Parts: sequence; structure tokens; C-alpha cells
Amino acid sequence: MENLNVQNNDSEMMVGEGVGFERIRRITGYLVGTLDRFNNAKRAEVNERVKHAVTREVKL
Amino acid sequence: MINTIVKRDGRCVLFDIDKITDAIFKAAQALGGNDRQTARELAELVVKHVEQAHTDDNPPTVEEVQDAVEYQLVESGHARTAKEYILYRAQRTRIRDMNTRLMKTYEELTYQSAGENDVKRENANIDGDTAMGTMLKYGSEGAKQFYHMFVLNPVHSKAHLEGDIHIHDLDFLTLTTTCCQIDIEKLFRGGFCPGHGFLREPNDIQSYTALACIAIQSNQNDQHGGQSIPNFDYGMAHGVRKTYRKLYSRNLAKALELLVGLENADEATKAVREKVHAAHGLYPVLADDNGYRDLELPELAGFADEPTLMKAQAFAVEQAYQETKRATYQAMEALVHNLNTMHSRAGAQVPFSSLNYGTDTSPEGRMATEAILLATDAGLGHGETAIFPIHIFKVKEGVSFNPGDPNYDLFKLACRVSAKRLFPNFSFLDAPYNLQYYKPGHPETEIAYMGCRTRVIGNCHDRSREIVNGRGNLSFTSINLPRIAIRAKGDIDFFFEELDRKIDLVIDQLMERYQIQAKKKVRNFPFLMGQGIWIDSDKLGPDDEVGEVLKHGTLSVGFIGLAETLKALIGQHHGESEYAQNLGLDIIGHMRKRMDDATRETGFNYTLLATPAEGLAGRFVRIDRKLYGEIEGVTDHDFYTNSFHIPVYYNISASEKIRLEAPYHALTNAGHISYIELDGDPLKNLDAFEQVVRYMKECGIGYGSINHPVDRDPVCGYTGIIDEVCPRCGRHEGEAVSVEKLRSLGCWNGNVDCGYCGDPNEEAARLPNSVVE
Ligand SMILES: [Zn+2]
Repeated sequence: MENLNVQNNDSEMMVGEGVGFERIRRITGYLVGTLDRFNNAKRAEVNERVKHAVTREVKL
Repeated sequence: MINTIVKRDGRCVLFDIDKITDAIFKAAQALGGNDRQTARELAELVVKHVEQAHTDDNPPTVEEVQDAVEYQLVESGHARTAKEYILYRAQRTRIRDMNTRLMKTYEELTYQSAGENDVKRENANIDGDTAMGTMLKYGSEGAKQFYHMFVLNPVHSKAHLEGDIHIHDLDFLTLTTTCCQIDIEKLFRGGFCPGHGFLREPNDIQSYTALACIAIQSNQNDQHGGQSIPNFDYGMAHGVRKTYRKLYSRNLAKALELLVGLENADEATKAVREKVHAAHGLYPVLADDNGYRDLELPELAGFADEPTLMKAQAFAVEQAYQETKRATYQAMEALVHNLNTMHSRAGAQVPFSSLNYGTDTSPEGRMATEAILLATDAGLGHGETAIFPIHIFKVKEGVSFNPGDPNYDLFKLACRVSAKRLFPNFSFLDAPYNLQYYKPGHPETEIAYMGCRTRVIGNCHDRSREIVNGRGNLSFTSINLPRIAIRAKGDIDFFFEELDRKIDLVIDQLMERYQIQAKKKVRNFPFLMGQGIWIDSDKLGPDDEVGEVLKHGTLSVGFIGLAETLKALIGQHHGESEYAQNLGLDIIGHMRKRMDDATRETGFNYTLLATPAEGLAGRFVRIDRKLYGEIEGVTDHDFYTNSFHIPVYYNISASEKIRLEAPYHALTNAGHISYIELDGDPLKNLDAFEQVVRYMKECGIGYGSINHPVDRDPVCGYTGIIDEVCPRCGRHEGEAVSVEKLRSLGCWNGNVDCGYCGDPNEEAARLPNSVVE
């Protein structure tokens, strides 16, 4: 199979062209590897999430 | 004179007065009438009426003729028949609309990709672009339309279609129930039959994990929800025990072969083992603390002198331990791999699997727990984070929570793995509403959670069996809370009255659905019921109805958008004021009380669910925005907030969020979960991670989970947080990187073809940092 991810040759060989990063997120309890498979509402929910600061009061 | 009529599709067909007569006669018949002559006379009057406005050059439409029928019936004093006729006409229109809509849906499923089509992405774990995925959607959409038209009570159908309520998994309405907590210990006792051929009781840890996967897969085909094993560590401990037993004898044989040249050593040591067992009821055990060696020694006397035998035994103990540990790890590695790749439901879906563990303090159970955690930590073949199973670590004081507890080390490990892989989640057995069922020494009374949050333990149908094993949810339906609040226009009394009406509606709807489920027979659930997985189903024959045993299950009323509800009612959500929090607790407390009342009145397990909102988050808000416009903090996002959660977009500290959400866990007895979103890489601050889990426990959370970004660059194998640039190889998304660079980083495996080289650093370090010794 011809490989489109490889350019040049020998020492100058390049890999990874067009390969994206995987971003695992949890929605409604389940993990999914990319956001592509989420429906629109769930995608919107992920995009609006803000972080929760861990403050000193959590320390027991 | 009229000879033709224009149909809805525009075609001209011959006009036939008998059709009008039939329609009127049918309407009259529905009211008990039986006078065809009157119907005929009325039809003639209708024709006369139509002829006033139409000629053969200008033929009437079907709609116009129907209008004329209505007019004529009312005019001639047949008001009740007129009403019936109008109903009949509306029903026909509804069916026609639905058929049109179904065909339109089919067209979109056929010609649009999942990227363009939201329906195909309704369930993130079904690949809507595959043949089987699309076929499932055809079936699902067709079934839903059929139920709306012919099965559902029209009142319930209407409430669902208009978005007052959401009947979950409607496509399975007449087919099956939601989920089950599989008692894996019971299932393996004596073997089972997953469909084709009998499987013997497994004999080593590899077979235990392999069969656990098959059990999950088989049950998943009988139900529409997920599958959970509530006692994974207790179950797998038996496999570890048997593996150790075998490996001890094998290694003893190896030693005696080498030391004294014993022949047929395998058979000999095995025979001695069984002899000792027959005489004393003891087998060699992982902890080597039951005196087995001393009892075995005299039985081995014929093979060698005592010092040699003792040396051989010591060798066997040491080797068997190490080999059992390796075998257990490999078995768990295979299980994680299987649960991520095996398919059910016509091959379109990976089973939704959940494993609960963490409280078995036996050396074998601890080894199983450690191995599943380490296998999850290592990830899949190229170090990818596994999507399944969902792991739930059971936190219990005196067992797995405080320093000094026998499984405290496993709790620490669970935190570390979760900080890297998002699983395990944490369940809290000490929360009062969970603790009330807990009986030490009875794992079936330890709370377990299924998949995204489902919880089944209380049992009003049989108070002597308030347990998790063999039970699950039958069906659940959610109420659109924000809509009731919008319609209340600030009138709290109206809100509660309307809420009660919706609760009544859903209680009835769940019962009607149960009546359908109850008529099913054991043979409709070859694994769930046929293999005795569901509680008491082992007492039924293949043609027995399942109605009675299903009463151990739960009927759950769910809700969505408490935050938007409060916002609509009083302008603040429960993160914004104590006043709002109190009202929120009133609302959810009221819903819970209604469930308890219904339970008392019916004898069925009605429970309150903090709905996970799969497939529903966007639907309600879309309909409500259309009906009521964009309302700030209510309909101005593309989703309603999950159950009782503080909105994801609201700034709040972790501790405050936990403190505010915890009291709702006590009220939602059908299931709940709280999430905390952590910034940065929690592996770099494991203390903070553990503190959040501990704070959840202290506040009375029942089930909690911590979210953090888990990114991975498949080219260099880096797993962690990646913003714009990969911290390891320095490439941007989609950018190429030189092999030279990867080689210098030690993450090039020479495999040009895949372009995905995994993480050699990580693969080399498998079986990392064991905590069980
Ligand atoms: Zn990289």
C-alpha cells in the first residue's frame, strides 16, 4: 500500500503529514476518541466547559 | 355534476360517493350507530354542497370534500358523529405525516454521512457510517414511528413528540429492558451456555476474563442499555486462585524433575495436590499462609529427602506467585482489548461495559484489581486510552479509603490510573443512602453503578433482597423540567402542580411499558433470562412470562436541566444563591417523594434518575427555543444542563461544586454522578486529584468522576495534554515530523507504513510500579 504520510527519503524522511491529534473526552459518562462522533448538542456542551479550581478548602 | 376529485398528490381520480358514505358510516359506527341509509343520505347532501362551488372543470380536492362532510354533519345535527369524523381525519393526517417523515428520515440516513446527520451521531458509540450502523438506524427510526402510530398511548406519544417528556430507548419499547448487573460469580459456577455450545466452568484467569467478555456481549444483545459486573474482583479472584493452584503444582514438578529426575512429575504433583485437598480441604494459595506445604510434605516423601522437597516447595511458591501475577496481568490486558474491539448488536456497537471493583481484600482479589488497573494504565496496543470498560473503584472506609486500610494501596493506584486514563470513576459505599444496604461479607450489598450512572439496589418488591446482583433498570423516561418552569412564569405553585401532572403521566407511561415487557417470555431473552442472569429467572421455563421476575427491576423517572429550571423560575441557578439551592432541593426532593409514594401504592420500584441525557440534551432546548424564544440562561445554549449539575459554563471551585451537588445524590436513587473538570495534567499533582476524591466522599457524593484533557499524538505516541504543539516531538496537528527527530527522541520504531509508532518508551515499561506485594 502506498503511504501518503511519508515524504522524502532516508534521513530526511518525514512522517505524520495529515495525522491529527486524538482528544479523548467524556460525555454523559462515556469516553470517545474524537469529537466527530458526538451529536451537535454534546459537542456544544464540551466546548463550553470551564475548569474547576481546586482550592485549599478541599484539603482535609 | 362532479366526476373527478383531486388527490393530495395532485392526481385526478374518479369521484366515488360510496367513499364518503363509508367514512361517515365508520364515524357513526364508532359511536355505536348502524344506519347505512342515513350515511348515504348525508353523503348525497355533501355532494350537493360541494357542487355549489365546483364543476367538472374545477374539481374539488380531497380536503375540500372532507371540509364539506364536517360542515354537513354539524348542520344536520350529527354533532357527535362530526366530532368522531374529525378525530378520524386528524389521525389519518398524523399517520400520513409520520409516513412522510419516516421516508424523509430514511432518505437522510441513506444519503448523508454521519458528519452531516445528527441522527447518525445520536449515540457516540455506534458508527453511523457503517452498513450495520445505518441498518440499525433504519430499524430504530421505523420502530419509533410504528410505536407512535399503533402502540403508545396517544397521550404519551403526544407528550414525547412535543417535548414535555422523553421516553428513552423508545425504539425498544416492545422488545426488552434496559440493563442488568451480572453476578459473575454465580454465572461461572458450573459453567454456562452463551448460545452455541456449553462453556465449562473456567479453570484459569485467562478463561475467566475471556468468559466475562462473552457474558457482557451476550447480555448486551438481549437488552438495550449497558452491562455491568458489580463484583468483578470477587469473581476474578476465583480465576486467580485456580491459576495459582495449577502453577504451584507445575513448578513443583519442574523442581523435582530437575533436582531428583522425577518422571511424570506433572501428574505426580497434581495427584498429591488432590490427595491433600481430599484429606484436609486445602489447596496451595497465593498468600502461602494456610499450612498447605506442611500437609503436602509427607505425601511427597517418596520422591526425595525432606530438605530437597522443602527446597522444591519454596521454588514452586516463588515461581507460581510470579507467574500467576503475570498471567493475571495478561488476562486483564486481553479483557480490556476485547471490550474495546468486540462487537454486539449486528456488529455496529461495542458493548457498553462497566466493571465495579476495589473491596475484595483477599490476596487473589487484590491481584485481580491491581492487574486490571495496571492494564488500563498501560493502554491499548499503541498506548491509546481504552474507551471501554467503564471502571468503578469502590471506596469504603476500613477497606479502601484510609491509610492502613487493606486496599488503600489500590485506592492510590486507582487515583493514579484515573489521573492518566479518566477511569476508574469512584463510588462511595459510605454515603448514608448506600451504607444502609451494606452488610460486611456480602458483596451483593455493596453499591454498584452501571455505565454512566444507573443505580439499582433498594427493592420494595422483595425487601429480603435489597441487593445489586441480577437486577437492573426496566425503562426510564425524563421530564423536561425547564419547560414547566418557563410556562410557570415565576408562579412556583403552578410549577409544582404542573410538575405533578407530568410525574403522573410518566408513572402511567412506565407502567404501560412494563405491561408490554411483562408479556415477554424467557425465550425472548436467551441469555439474560435463559441463562439465569436476571434474578429468579432460573426458576422459569423457556415459555414462561417474565412479568413476575421483572418486578425486581426499577421504573425510573428522570429529569434534565435543574439549573435552567431555577433560572427560569427565580433568575438564579443553584450555583448562584443558597435560595436557589434550597428551591432546587425542594423540587428534586418533591420528585423523590412522588417516587416513594408511587412505590408504596403500586409495589413497583419507582426511582428517581439524574438522567444522563444521551440524545436528549439538544432536543428539548431546540423545541423550547422555538416555542418560547431565546431566554437568557435558559434556552440560550445548545443544550440543557445535565440533571442537577451546576452548568458546565459557570465558574465555580471544585469544592463548591461538590458541596452543592452532593445532596442531590441522596435524592436520586436511580442513579447520579458528579464531575469535576481539572485543569492541567493531574498526574503532576496526584495529591490534588486524591483530595478531590476524598472531598467527594466527605460531602456524601455517591458516584463521582474527574475530567481532564487526555490527548495523544499518534505519531510520536505522546499521551497527555497537547495544546497547539506536541510537547514531545514538536509538531502541530497534521504536520509532518522527521524520522531523524523521532529517532533521536527514542520513539521511532522503524515502521514507516503505519505512521503510528505507538510509544516504545511505554511499551518497554509495561507492568509498571506494582503496588501489591
Ligand atoms: Zn508528538
